[in-house]
Amino acid sequence: MTPIIRVHHLHKHFRLTRNRHGLLGAVRGLIAPEYRTVRAVDGISFDLARGELVGYLGPNGAGKSTTIKMLAGLLVPTSGEIVVNGHVPWRERQAYVARIGAVFGQRTTLWWDLPVSESLDLLQHIYKIPAQQFQRNLDEFRQLLGLDAFINTPVRALSLGQRMRADLCAALLHDPDLLFLDEPTIGLDVVAKERIRQFIQHVNRVRGTTVILTTHDLSDVEKLCERVMIIDHGRLLYDGKLEFLREKFGGKRQLVVDFAENYSDAPVDGAEIAGRDGNRVTYEFERRVIAASELIGRLSSQYRINDLEVREPDIESTIRRIYEEKLLENASDAAN
Amino acid sequence: MRLFFELARRSFQRQLTYRAATIAGLVTNFFFGVLRVAVLTAFYGVQAEVNGLSLQGAITFTGLTQAIIGYLSLFGWYEVMNSIYTGAVATDLLKPMGYYRFWMAQDLGRAVAQLVMRALPIMLAYAIFFPITWPKSVGQWLALVVAMALAWMISFSVRFLANLAGFWTPNALGFVRFAFILMYFLTGFLMPLRFFPDWFVRLCNLTPFPYIINTVVEIFLGVLTGPQIVVALLSQLGWVVILGVACQLILRAGVRRLVIQGG
Repeated sequence: MTPIIRVHHLHKHFRLTRNRHGLLGAVRGLIAPEYRTVRAVDGISFDLARGELVGYLGPNGAGKSTTIKMLAGLLVPTSGEIVVNGHVPWRERQAYVARIGAVFGQRTTLWWDLPVSESLDLLQHIYKIPAQQFQRNLDEFRQLLGLDAFINTPVRALSLGQRMRADLCAALLHDPDLLFLDEPTIGLDVVAKERIRQFIQHVNRVRGTTVILTTHDLSDVEKLCERVMIIDHGRLLYDGKLEFLREKFGGKRQLVVDFAENYSDAPVDGAEIAGRDGNRVTYEFERRVIAASELIGRLSSQYRINDLEVREPDIESTIRRIYEEKLLENASDAAN
Repeated sequence: MRLFFELARRSFQRQLTYRAATIAGLVTNFFFGVLRVAVLTAFYGVQAEVNGLSLQGAITFTGLTQAIIGYLSLFGWYEVMNSIYTGAVATDLLKPMGYYRFWMAQDLGRAVAQLVMRALPIMLAYAIFFPITWPKSVGQWLALVVAMALAWMISFSVRFLANLAGFWTPNALGFVRFAFILMYFLTGFLMPLRFFPDWFVRLCNLTPFPYIINTVVEIFLGVLTGPQIVVALLSQLGWVVILGVACQLILRAGVRRLVIQGG
């Protein structure tokens, strides 16, 4: 099947004026401005299959939003190729944007001083959605997103979470094939985040909409995405299963054991004791050194055990390690 | 067409919600209207008319121009510029419709609301407190309606064009303000254009500005008659077309710049 998105050697370079210090610098800058080039996106390639839900991760300034803007047709690449649904996004803007949906977490597509329902009506006309389809979608989203509580409230009076729910509804009324979500959970509380995640999952699984999600919040990714792409300094550092990322770069796993008696020391081959609290001992071990089952076997042959629990390293610390220690760059250097 | 109407209707509705602003605007417009009447009355002194305009005509002129300040957004309109600066332009460009039409529809709603909520009450107040003249024939009324509609379109395009400067500079406020100051003088808002020297009027007539106010005023006062009215309306129409094309071309260049250099 042809991919819904094909991105090939994508580059976006911005030319910024360099500010010089002091009055003299300012005058020189006026006469002979000096430029520097920022490579916001620096050679990215990937394919996306129809129906995928992909997390696009990276620290601030990594190039996430620039990529999304290019995919949405709001920025023209410096070089490289993007084909979405057979369209080149920035050409024929109107025809292209009619087939996509987008939510930029920081902004609203709704009318600030109109009630939500009126904004949605306007979108029906803008996207020329047939009345029946519009009503069906609206009913579905109203229920899933709990819009009824504030559907007659002007957008300016909504809380951030409510506004985000309204914006999600607005982005999907015309049944887009593809949904871009740029930081959809930014600034929301846990309950609001969870509701939005469930909705995104529904849209992807039940409606089959392809979703690209950029986020800072790794629990979004953990709950929603099988596939992640990690970008930093405009380069794609990782593109693959979330599971594999954890396996490869997850660092140490932990085994927490409640012993039946109080051993003064409880050493075992392949793992180190990281802490102890009465009869409870925490071991740390590396996946590539020993499997959890093996370790448990060794422990139970030597000691009497009441209970145990394997703890996976959380994805957040995994990814933090990847950025900080530049693990992926080293990995790809080694591969070359 | 349906979409245009729906956008305009919602925009009209939004205007109605700003009741306090409307009342404040009304009071201000009327207050300055009274000041302008006082100044003109002093200026006329014992003269019955100046450059062919009677005192009564001059007073009507101040009433009419005060009344349509809101309708034509004469004192400033920065919405497109602001949406470029806040980045809201991006979400609007993601909507599958022309950006110029998108704003034009919304401005129409705003203008009609201003016509109802500001122009009519001010004209009524003037009619109560001052001796003003009204159009005398059905033809004159009809011409007035057409001239008002075309005046709004010209005013919208001029404002839209000025706002587009926001695509090129991070601080276009000065430029847009300058455009509004030009409008203040060259439309014939400050003084009827016929009070100015001939050479100045001829220069003005090379620009679209007089067709925003002066044409409307002269039709209202009955200064223009028969064929002159037709010429005036056709000139307005010409400017609507020219400015419409200019808006589209410059908008396209601005969007191209935005999508290439980033917002």
